[in-house]
Amino acid sequence: MAGSLLAAPDHRALLSGGLWLTGLLFVMSWLLAVLLACGIAGLRGSRFAVLRAVAGVVVDYHRNVPGVVQIFVWYFGISALLPSGMQRWINRHDGELLLAWIALALYAAAYISEDLRSGFRAIAPGQGEAAAALGLTPWQTALKVLLPQAVRAALPALVNQTLALFKATTLALTIGVVDLLGAAVQIENQTFRTFEVFGIVSVAYLAGSWVIMAGGYWLNRRFAVVTAR
Amino acid sequence: MLDILRDYGLQLLIGQYPAGPLGGLALTLVLSVSVLVLAFPLAVVVGVARGSRRPAIAAAAALYANAIRGLPLLLVVFWSYYALPLLVGASFSAERVMVSALVIYESAYLGEIVRAGIAALPAGQAEAAHSLGLGRWATLRKVLLPQALYNMIPSFLSQFIVVLKNTSVAYVIGVNEVTNQAYQINSQLLSRPFEVFAILAAIYFALAKLLSLGAARLDRRIAG
Amino acid sequence: MGLKGITLRLALVLAAGLIGTTAQADQLADIKARGTLICGTLTNIEPLGYQDAQTRQIVGFDVDTCAAVARQLGVKLEHKGIALEQRIPELALGRVDLVAAALGYTKERAEQIAFTSAHYQVPIRVMVKTAAGINSFKDLEGKRVSAVTGATTELYAKRGLPNTQVVSFQTGPAAFLAFMQDKTDGFSTSHTAGLGFLRETNGQGKFINDSLAWEPTALGVKKGEAALLAAVNGALQAIEASGELDAMWNKWYGPASKFPFPREKKLTPIEAFMN
Repeated sequence: MAGSLLAAPDHRALLSGGLWLTGLLFVMSWLLAVLLACGIAGLRGSRFAVLRAVAGVVVDYHRNVPGVVQIFVWYFGISALLPSGMQRWINRHDGELLLAWIALALYAAAYISEDLRSGFRAIAPGQGEAAAALGLTPWQTALKVLLPQAVRAALPALVNQTLALFKATTLALTIGVVDLLGAAVQIENQTFRTFEVFGIVSVAYLAGSWVIMAGGYWLNRRFAVVTAR
Repeated sequence: MLDILRDYGLQLLIGQYPAGPLGGLALTLVLSVSVLVLAFPLAVVVGVARGSRRPAIAAAAALYANAIRGLPLLLVVFWSYYALPLLVGASFSAERVMVSALVIYESAYLGEIVRAGIAALPAGQAEAAHSLGLGRWATLRKVLLPQALYNMIPSFLSQFIVVLKNTSVAYVIGVNEVTNQAYQINSQLLSRPFEVFAILAAIYFALAKLLSLGAARLDRRIAG
Repeated sequence: MGLKGITLRLALVLAAGLIGTTAQADQLADIKARGTLICGTLTNIEPLGYQDAQTRQIVGFDVDTCAAVARQLGVKLEHKGIALEQRIPELALGRVDLVAAALGYTKERAEQIAFTSAHYQVPIRVMVKTAAGINSFKDLEGKRVSAVTGATTELYAKRGLPNTQVVSFQTGPAAFLAFMQDKTDGFSTSHTAGLGFLRETNGQGKFINDSLAWEPTALGVKKGEAALLAAVNGALQAIEASGELDAMWNKWYGPASKFPFPREKKLTPIEAFMN
C-alpha cells in the first residue's frame, strides 16, 4: 500500500526533499547549538555580573517559552525589525529555513548550556588548580581538562537534548519549511491517503530517533564515568 | 504594545467566553491540567511495567516508551487527529484530540520519571516490606509507590511546564488556546507581529517561570 | 477507489461496528433529532468568517450562510471554527455536518466529500506589491508566492506558476503576512478572501489582472449522506429564490460594503463542473 504512494514520482520527490531538509536542519541546528551553548555556559561562569545576568536571561527565555512561539518570534517578529535590505537578503536565501535554523539552534543551545554547566559542576574541585600547577594556561585548562570531563558527565543529558532537537525540527513546518513532516502534510492534503503517508514518515522519524538513542547508549558505555563510591 | 493588551487582552485570556467557547490562556491551562491528571495513572502503569520482573511486560513497556519518545509531538498530534475519531466516534473535538495526544506523549516521559523514582528508593525498603510479610503488589502499592510519588512531585511539576509549553502546537489542529489567539490577533493587526508574539512569549515566560520557581521551592522542601 | 480506500472503508466499518450506536444511519435524521446543525467556518478571513473584535464572536458571509441553512432545516445553528486544512477531514470524520469555508470544488476533494450546488464563483488571484513592477504571471518566474497549505490557491499556484516557488503556510493571514513582509513576492488567494487582505495593504498591494482559475465555491457535506445533501441543496435553492442569498452577499460584498465584489452567477448544480 505504501509502495503505491511512493511509486508516484511527485510524492517521492517531495518526501526525499523533505528528508534532506529535516536532516540539514537537524545537523546545522545541532552544530550551531553546541557552539552557542559553549559560549553561553562560558558567559554564565564569567567574572562580570552583567554578562552572567544576560546569559541567564537568554537561557531562561528559551527554556520557558514554547518552541513554536520562539519560531514565530524569529520568523514574524524579529525579522520584521531588521533593516529592509537585510530582510530582502534573508527572503532571497530560503528565509524560512534560515530563521528556523537560528530559532532551533538557540532553543537547543539554552538547554545544552545548562547541561554543560551541570557537567562542569560535577568535576572534582582541584582539577583546575592541578592543571594550573602543571603549567597549563586557563584556556588550555578549560578546553583540554575541564570541557572533556564536563561533556562526559553531561553525556546522557546531551543525548536527550539531541533527540529533542531532532524532533523539534518538525516545528519548522509552521512557517512553511517543507521538511519531512511538511512533505507528508502536503501529500496528505493532495491525496487524502492519511494513514499511508503518516505511516511512512513515522517509520522514518522512529528510525532517526532510535539511531540517536542507540548512539547515546553506545557513547555512554564507551565513555562511562567511573565514579568511586 | 499596551493598546494591543487593552484591545485584545481579554481574548488572549479567555477567547470568546462567555459568548462563545472558552479559549486563550484559560484553555491552555485547562488542557495542561487535564493532560497531567489523565496521564498520571497511565504513567504509573508504564513506569511500574518497565521495572517489572517479567521480561515480556518490561519489554512491551520499554517498546511503548521508546516508540512514543521517538516520534515528534506534531506527528503524534496528527495521528491522534486522524485516527482517534475512527476509534472512539465522531464527537471527538479538537480539544480532546489534543489532550489525548499529549496524554499518550507525556505518559512515556512521566513513565520514565516514575521508573526512576522507584529505582531511586533504597533497596532496603522493599526488603523490609517483604520481611514484614507484604506481597510484591502490596509492597509496591503501600510502600514503594507512595514514597516514590512523593519524591517525584517536583519532577511532575517541571513536566507540567513541559506540557504547558507543548499545548502550543494545538493551534495546528484549530484549538483556540493562547497561541492560536495570538495568531488570530496577529492576523487582524497584520503590521505588528513582533509586539503580538512578544506578548505571547511573555505570557508563557511568566507562567512557566512562576511554576519552575514553585517547583524549586517544593524540591527543597521535599529534599530537605 | 484503490486498495487503500477499501481497507480504510473496512476499518471505518469495523470501527463503527465496535462503537455500535454512535454509527448513524442518516445524518439528517440525526441533525433533526438533536435540533442543531453543526456548521464549520473559517475564523480568520474577513469577511467570510472572522472574529469581531468588539463582541469576540465569529461573524461573516459563511456564518450567515450556515445560519440560513439551519433556519431552512428548522434547527438551531451550532457554529464551529475550523482551520483551512481541516475542512475535508472534519467532514469526512463527521465532526461537522456542514462546511461553509471558501470551499472550492476540485475532483480530488469530490472523492472525499460531497459538494452542494455552487453558491458563488470566484477567480483565484495573485496579489503583488504595486511598487514591485510585477504585472503578469510571467513576471513572477523565478520569484516566490505564498499560499495556504491544503487550499486550492496552493494547488492552482503550483499548476499555474510552474517556474515560481510556492511557499505554503498554515493559515491565510500567515501567508499574507509573509507577502507583506516581502518574504514572498506574491500571495495566491481567492478574490473574495483576498479583498479583506488587499484593504490591509493600504494601497501597497494589487491583484495581477489575470486569474489562475475560476473556482466554483460550494458547501460541503459528508459523502454518502444523500438525504442531508438534498436537504442542504433545497435550503440553498430556497434562499436563492427568496433573494436571501443575494441579500447576504450584499451585506458583506455589496457595493456599499467594505469589499465590493459582484456575485455574477446564481446557484449552479455542482454537476455542471464535473468533467
